[in-house]
Amino acid sequence: MKNRLKVLRADRDWTQADLADRLQVTRQTINAIEKGKYDPSLPLAFKIAVLFGLPIEEVFSPNTD
Amino acid sequence: MINIRTETSLQAGLKKSTFQLFLATGAWVSSTALMSFGPSALWGFDTAVTFLAIAVNTIAGGFMLYSFFKHLKNMDELQRQTHLEAMALTLGITMVLTVIYGALPQAKVLASTQPANVLFVIGISYILSVITLWLRRTNA
Repeated sequence: MKNRLKVLRADRDWTQADLADRLQVTRQTINAIEKGKYDPSLPLAFKIAVLFGLPIEEVFSPNTD
Repeated sequence: MINIRTETSLQAGLKKSTFQLFLATGAWVSSTALMSFGPSALWGFDTAVTFLAIAVNTIAGGFMLYSFFKHLKNMDELQRQTHLEAMALTLGITMVLTVIYGALPQAKVLASTQPANVLFVIGISYILSVITLWLRRTNA
């Protein structure tokens, strides 16, 4: 699954730790999601979308390859 | 600008459950030692006291399991998934190695087997699995 987490975070000038605090997860989790090494659970994906004020499909998209 | 990061509820919850797990594990290890060495060293093989020591050990074991479960629930989802995958790997590794180990006396490679050795396999497999899986996901 691809995501725009890094871009959205950078737009708001947040560090990975800032975003992790807002989502109540570890910084390593944010890093793993950004690098595509970990796909978040559905509740966390929705929480991320709500935090950025975007529909979930504008944050996450399926890997088409 | 000074950036003072306050402890999040995730960190506070983890700290609390880690301490509880530490206490529970300590109680279990102590009661295991008491159950193993108490009959010969402390109460002269009195069966009633031994049964009491077994009951205390069982309760401490239950408390340790409960504490570990609580600790697992307090983790964030990547930590939890890492630990669950490590448990799955540990189960498989332990099963395979225990079958091999159990067959060694029959093959006359070993004189006898020690069930406690399986605990070492479980412990080492679990620690190595957690470290490997965590680094694989979090390393740049």
